[in-house]
This record gives sequence, C-alpha cells and structure tokens, in this order.
Amino acid sequence: MFSLRNCGLWVAASLTKKRLTLARFSGDSAAPLATKFDVIVIGGGHAGTEAAAAAARCGSRTLLLTHRVDTIGQMSCNPSFGGIGKGHLMREVDALDGLCSRICDQSGVHYKVLNRRKGPAVWGLRAQIDRKLYKQNMQKEILNTPLLTVQEGAVEDLILTEPEPEYTGKCRVSGVVLADGSTVHAESVVLTTGTFLRGVIVIGLEMHPAGRLGDQPSIGLAHTLEKLGFVVGRLKTGTPPRIAKESINFSILNKQTPDNPSIPFSFISETVWIKPEDQLPCYLTHTNPKVDEIVLENLHLNSHIKETTRGPRYCPSIESKVLRFPNRLHQVWLEPEGMDSDLIYPQGLSVTLPAELQEKMITCIKGLEKAKMIQPGYGVQYDYLDPRQITPSLETHLVQRLFFAGQINGTTGYEEAAAQGVIAGINASLRVKRKPPFVVSRTEGYIGVLIDDLTTLGTNEPYRMFTSRAEFRLSLRPDNADSRLTFRGYKEVGCVSQQRYERASWMKSSLEEGISVLKSIEFSSSKWKKLIPEASISIGKSLPLSHL
Amino acid sequence: MWRGLWTLVARAARGPRSPRPCTRQGSGVPVPGSGTTIFALSSGHGRCGIAVIRTSGPASGHALRSLTAPRDLPPARSACLRLLSHPRSGEPLDRALVLWFPGPQSFTGEDCAEFHVHGGPAVVSGVLQALGSVPGLRPAEAGEFTRRAFAHGKLSLTEVEGLADLIHAETEAQRRQALRQLDGELGHLCHGWAGTLTQALAHVEAYIDFGEDDNLEEGVLEQANSEVRELQLALGAHLRDARRGQRLRSGAHVVVAGPPNAGKSSLVNLLSRKPVSIVSPEPGTTRDVLETPVDLAGFPALLSDTAGLREGAGPVEQEGVRRARERLEQADLILAVLDASDLASPSSRNFLDTVVAPAGAGSPNGNSQRLLLVLNKSDLLPPGGPDPSPNLRPHLLLSCLTGEGLDGLLEALRKELAEVCGDPSTGPPLLTRARHQHHLQGCLDALGHYTQTKDLALAAEALRLARGHLARITGGGGTEEILDIIFRDFCVGK
Repeated sequence: MFSLRNCGLWVAASLTKKRLTLARFSGDSAAPLATKFDVIVIGGGHAGTEAAAAAARCGSRTLLLTHRVDTIGQMSCNPSFGGIGKGHLMREVDALDGLCSRICDQSGVHYKVLNRRKGPAVWGLRAQIDRKLYKQNMQKEILNTPLLTVQEGAVEDLILTEPEPEYTGKCRVSGVVLADGSTVHAESVVLTTGTFLRGVIVIGLEMHPAGRLGDQPSIGLAHTLEKLGFVVGRLKTGTPPRIAKESINFSILNKQTPDNPSIPFSFISETVWIKPEDQLPCYLTHTNPKVDEIVLENLHLNSHIKETTRGPRYCPSIESKVLRFPNRLHQVWLEPEGMDSDLIYPQGLSVTLPAELQEKMITCIKGLEKAKMIQPGYGVQYDYLDPRQITPSLETHLVQRLFFAGQINGTTGYEEAAAQGVIAGINASLRVKRKPPFVVSRTEGYIGVLIDDLTTLGTNEPYRMFTSRAEFRLSLRPDNADSRLTFRGYKEVGCVSQQRYERASWMKSSLEEGISVLKSIEFSSSKWKKLIPEASISIGKSLPLSHL
Repeated sequence: MWRGLWTLVARAARGPRSPRPCTRQGSGVPVPGSGTTIFALSSGHGRCGIAVIRTSGPASGHALRSLTAPRDLPPARSACLRLLSHPRSGEPLDRALVLWFPGPQSFTGEDCAEFHVHGGPAVVSGVLQALGSVPGLRPAEAGEFTRRAFAHGKLSLTEVEGLADLIHAETEAQRRQALRQLDGELGHLCHGWAGTLTQALAHVEAYIDFGEDDNLEEGVLEQANSEVRELQLALGAHLRDARRGQRLRSGAHVVVAGPPNAGKSSLVNLLSRKPVSIVSPEPGTTRDVLETPVDLAGFPALLSDTAGLREGAGPVEQEGVRRARERLEQADLILAVLDASDLASPSSRNFLDTVVAPAGAGSPNGNSQRLLLVLNKSDLLPPGGPDPSPNLRPHLLLSCLTGEGLDGLLEALRKELAEVCGDPSTGPPLLTRARHQHHLQGCLDALGHYTQTKDLALAAEALRLARGHLARITGGGGTEEILDIIFRDFCVGK
C-alpha cells in the first residue's frame, strides 16, 4: 500500500496546493526584480538560507533561487537541531549572526542540553523542533531580510566568462540560466543543492529520481559541473518512516522530559519561546530480535543496502546496524514532529525495506504494536563534489566566484550545512567587494575544523561533526563562540548586527573584569588548599591544565 | 572581599538583563608553546676532542647557572672556564668552556648557552642528562634551532632558501636514527603502548560524543580507566629500569648491499680485516644481517653485511632480503657492490634501478641517501675496463681478490664519513634515548592527570596529550584513527 506510486500521489496532492511559478518574493517589495545581482544563492535549504542571509547582511544585493518557495527552511530529515559537536556549530553560526539558532529558539518543542555531566567544553545544545514552525519562521525571516530577493526557478546551467587573470581558475561564473531559458547575472554564485544533484530515492527495489520525497532532482546542473571537470562522487543517506502519534502506546515506554529551564541556542535570545512545562516529551523504545529477523530475511529486497555507495557510519540504517552489530537491542527514540503534528519520528529506525515490510517491522517494536505508518522510510543517493576542489573560503579552484556549501560538499546534517552556508555567503559577498576572504581556522572554531577537514582531506562518507575532531576542544566551547567569532564578523566582514556586537562586547569586558579580580587574589598554596580542598594543587610542575 | 568577588562573577555569568546559565571563560586561542627551552649536541659525533652542547630558550640562563653553581652567569659572549656538575647530585661532570649569549644577540635570537666539553661519550651523555633534569628543558626536535632562528628573524633571505632543505636533511637523519633505535624491543613496546592508549582514547572520545543518547555498552569508561592504569604501571616500570630499552650502537651505519654473489661479504672481510662473513662462490651465502664495528678511515662505523637482493629464493633467504632492505632504510652510507663483469645481468640491472638510482643525490623527492657504487671483481675485466655503460653513475673499481683499488675506496669512504659524522643532527644514540625518555615520561605524567581529573573533557585532553607524546616516537594517533576505532567498536548514531 505504500508503493512509490502512492507516494507520488501524495506528492501530487501537495503540489496542487497554491503554487506560484517564478513568482517574486522580495523583502524589498517595491523594487522590481533586477536581472543582475551581487550574489545568487541556489537552494533554499539550511546552507542556502544561511548563505543568502549572510550575503545580504554583508550588504550584497542577493537573490535566493529555489525550486519552491514553500520548501524554504524545510527540515527534510530529523525534527531536531543541535547535539554534541553540532550544538557547537550552531553557536558559531549564531556568533556570526546566522539564522538557525534564533529560529530554533522560536520553534522548538523540547530543549535539552546533552552531556551536562561532562565538562562544559562538550555540552551539546539540542532541541526537538516543530517542523512547521521552523519553516514558517525561517520563511518570514528570509522574506523580510533587506537586500534579499527570493525567486522560484530551477537552475539548469551556469553562465561562464573569461577568468580574472590575478586569480586561479579556468573561468569565472557570471550568472545562471533557468529552466525556462531566462538568465540572471551576478558577481558570485553559491551552490547549495543538497541531495538534489542526480538525487535518487530508494524504497525496497524501487528507485525514483528526486532530491527529497516529492521534489525534482537537479540533473542539468550535475551535467554542467561534470563538464567543467569537477570530480563527482556518490553518497547515500536515509530517513526513517513516520508514525501516527495516536497509534502509539506511550504509557509503557521510557519518557524523557525537557530541561527546566531551557537553554537558548542564540547568544541574543533571552529565553526560548515556550515554557518548559508546555514542551513535549520524547520516548525511548528498543528494537528486538524480531526486527533483526525481518531485516535479514529481506536483504534481497533492499537495493539501497546492497549498493557500494558509502553511507554515514554514525547514522546507520537499521539494516546496517543489524548486519554490523547483530543480536543487540538498538535504541529507537520516538520524537515529536511539532506542537500540532500527529506524526512521530522514530529516530534510529532509518530503513529502506519495501514499505509493507517496514510496517511489519515497526509493529514488532514495544509500544508500536498497533502503530500506523503514515509515510515509509527511504534512502537517498546523490552526487557530491570532492570538497578538496574548494578553498577554505568555499570558492571552487576551477571556477572563479563559484562557491559550494552544504551536502554538495559531502557533509550531512543541518548544522554542518548552516555553518558552511554562513561562510560561503560571507565570502561570496567579500569576493564581489574584492576584499580578502574570511577564513575560520581550526584553532578558532568547529567551523574551521569542518572546512579544514573537508578541503584538505576530502571525505568518502557523509561528514558529520564530532567533538573528537577538534584538537582545541577545551577552548572551542559553545559558551565562548561569541568571543571567538562575533568580533571578527563585526570588524572584518560586517555581517554582525550592532546589537549583537554590543552584547558580545559587554560580555567580554565583564569577563575580563572578573578574571582580573580573580587574579588579584593571592594566597599561599596551603591557604588555597584549605579554602578549596578538592582542588589538586601541585607545585613546581607544569600541568597540562595550566594552559587553560 | 569574597562577597564582592562572587557578586561580580554572578553578574558576569548572568548577562545584562536576564539569567543565562552558561558560564564562560574569556580565554581565547591557545598560544603554541614557544616558551620551552631546548638543548642538543651541536657538534658532530665520532672521535673528537671537543663537543659543543647548545641550549636555546628562556631557561638557558637558569640551566647554565644550575650546571655551574654556585657561580654567576659569565659575561655575555666571552668564554669562561667552569666546572660543570649535575644540578641534582652535585657530581662533577667536566671542566668546560661555557659561553652565555643573552637574546636577541644569539644564533636563535633567544637566550642561548654553549658548553664546550671534552668529546668523550661519557662526558657528553652526562651533560645532556644533567640538562634534561633542569626544569623547563627538553631535547630539541630535528631542525628546531634553525626553525627558532628563522622565527626570530635571524636568518637572511638567502639563508631561508636553504632552510627547507636543511630541516629536511636533519629530519631525515633523525628519522633514520629513530628507526634504528626503534628496531627491536623498545619499538615493539612503544607500538604496543600506543595501540592500548589509542584504544582507550577512542573509547573515552566515544563516551563524550555518543555516551549521552546512544547506547554504548556498559563500562566503556571503566575499561578505559583500567587500561590507563595498566599502561601507567608498564611505563613506570620501564622508566625505572634504566638498563632496558635500546642497545646503543655507536658510529655511522655503513651497509654493504648488492645483488647475490657480487662480493659483498668479501668486501666486509677486507674492510674489517677479519673473516666476519663466510665467503663462497654460491649466490645467497649470506642470509642474515651481519654487523661488525670497525674503524673505517679513522671514523667509528658499524659495518653491516646483508643478503644479496633477489626475488624468488627460499623463505629463509627471503627473510634475509627483507632484513637487508630494512637495514638499507636505516643506513647512513650504502656501499653498493656490483660484479663489474656482470653489469648486464637482470639482478644487477634491478639493483641499479631500485637501490642505486633512488639513493642518488638530487632525486626528485629529496630523500637522497649517501651511496658509494663499488664495482668489484675488476680482476675479471678485460684490460680495457668495464663496458662503457652510459647510465652508470660515478663508481670505484675494486678487486677484493687482489686488493687493487682499496686505497681509492678508503679515500672515498673517508670523505663520505667525514660528512656523515660531522652532521650534528644525526646525534649520538644517547640523545635519541634522551628524547624517547622525555616523551615516555611526558606520556606517564599526562596519564597521571587523566586519572586525577574529574571533568571528562579535561581528562580526555590529558589522554590526547599522552598519545601525542607516544606519537613523537611511534607516529599515528590522528582523528581518523580514533574515529575508526569508535565505529568499529560501537554501534553509534541513530
């Protein structure tokens, strides 16, 4: 009953909703659509929205091109933001005045900081997010950003011209060609096409070209990039089925409650939009040997798993968990999709079996015995471009003024995409102004670690952030992202608002004052020992802790 | 006072208008440590009357005073005679000339001290150990003096051009030295320790990144803790037992290599003036590496005879060939021996291509190794000399049978060894040993911090530091290695 054909119908139904072709959405509604911009951003996902907003904040006249305006800010996989390492990235995006942290503070339904028992350097800010609210708030933000124009359209080709002799690269991008043949010119172009480059959706043995369930893939653009000589690789990822909330027996499952008080993601949010007592709980259940059995008996019906394309090791499908770690109970978190959503997202149950078998598998699990599957899980296979072809400012070596950000560079995750988006948007704008690029180093932020790893080592699996990747983990904490990046963003780039700058300055001077007061207190080591007996004070030996 | 302080801290943590529970520290990016003081033997090793030991860094003055106590620092840039003694035990080491160069008027631009001591190995090792016991001092890395001089603007542009080559050469020499030292028990131990430590670190990292909402098995952290404790015991025992560790092999490593039956063993016997190796007309007579300490043209050298390099022999000989190749890697000087009457044979050609050609000076990857090409059995040649082969590099003709050409070979050896032994960076094995001990001790100290620290992120940092120390001996320990272990051992992710 859940064949792709039915999904197609579901898609068609959503497509028949009010749609405007090539409609103009402009924050500056009085201005007519120009055919020349400073920066064009292709794609309205997490990288695209951040890139477009960042370029506009830097003062560039920016055009955001997307297949559909109503999918801007779509969270196409898990209904959550943040986590360990990812929360760090969000704080850094926020420190550069990016969007996602602020939007999350207005759209979450369950805020919880992970790793609270470990040191503050590895706290993971995380929240379940209401998909609908996030999308609404993001669209409101994007459509009201000064200097930013939004237009619907599929990009088929790039307009290329002679290269600037003082830079490397065999040509320069100067605009894009849309599917209807019209052209838009720009000084820089940012590509954030996610999984849409030759994207294929897989359920069981059925394959269907699509970037996301219900959306067309970008094939013309993939051809163009390949013709230009970009090295293309292939990756896969997956998403779990969605389950009807009222069909789940939560009463027999472990309940997880949100933090009280909630910690906001953004440095400039005083608090989140919702009180802790109004937030929604999550529930935990586990797989069992019956699930293993169904997976193992039906491997022949599962082309996604058989493929040799690399999937993420840390975000494996239930099939690969069963194959690699047999005879174990695997966790399944049941997460709310939103305040008024009747869907539950079973985190940990990413699966590409045929839909009927998915339904059978779900009903084996405790609490889900009578669960109704609303949408099947599916796999996505897509092209990515070897990120060693881009510079630390995310501009391509081959084509001048062409920037890549997000999943196109082989990463996975909303936060990784957003982080690259901000950097690409800033640099696309700086390039137009002929200013030096804005590069975050490994010692300054997780953003630096992410981009340095990608551009120097490349990746052969979807790249995800972990704190173990950061050599300077102790100093790259979520709580000091503003002192690391806000001042640079304000002074070097101009992408940071006055309000945020002042807040960060106030925080900085308070801290310095506090530290100088602390430093002014001097006692003998024996007195310190008496005052703070739990501190280990050793004399005359250089501790690693003394660097901190 | 306390009350005032707390109000201030609370205010700083709160933010201007409303409470904000995240506390913060104003620390920025950690500054890479240039504050350390380094020391090394700066003159060559081998037979010499005077050896020069140099230090550079802020603790140089302190080091100089520690070794020459109770005397004050000598006047800047003038030589003074001082009695050197061990700062801890007070045991006299040597009567030496010392020089004091306060920065920035010194070679590196930092405070520098020089100790001109008598050249015997006991004196040199005594002074090096004494310096190592001064707090804040550590053995220099390859090329570190040069690097510091460059960093302080002490090298001109033309000198900078040679810098990369210089550091590369020093690194190469030290790499060969380290390879030699790691060959054997210590290397085996270090690799074992590094493996255990990497595993423990990976499990702690997994606990940090995935412990919260992925189901790691029970006891991941406890297991890592017990592994660390075992490692502490093993390292501690090793460091206490000074006799263990590496065999010290002094002198330049000269390796005789070539295709089978070229006369390598005959050459070794000729040079060492004693029958070290069995000689027979049968190819493959030498199957193991035979070492003999010799005096070559006045320089101490360790001469190694190796199995003839060829493919497809029996398993014992193949092992001999493997060892021969390993020994070639570690050689300071290769004596490549070919049969002058048999240059066109496949084994000779193969040897020329795979060993002689890559070792040639100026090879593109810069990994040049010193090599002397010797064409043996000149007595078998027709009167006109060997075939005029256009691609053959400069070579020496020799007949081990008649002794003809031996003088020429000895003269060539003298020139090469003078350069090898005059290169301070190859250093005596003692300095390599000091470096190993320094890093093993550093590793042990860091493990101590791991067990004492409560904050898991700080504890993991101590483990990273410990792994970093071992990596200076064994290499490895990068992020990918850690992640590979995490994903191999745990089913993480959702």
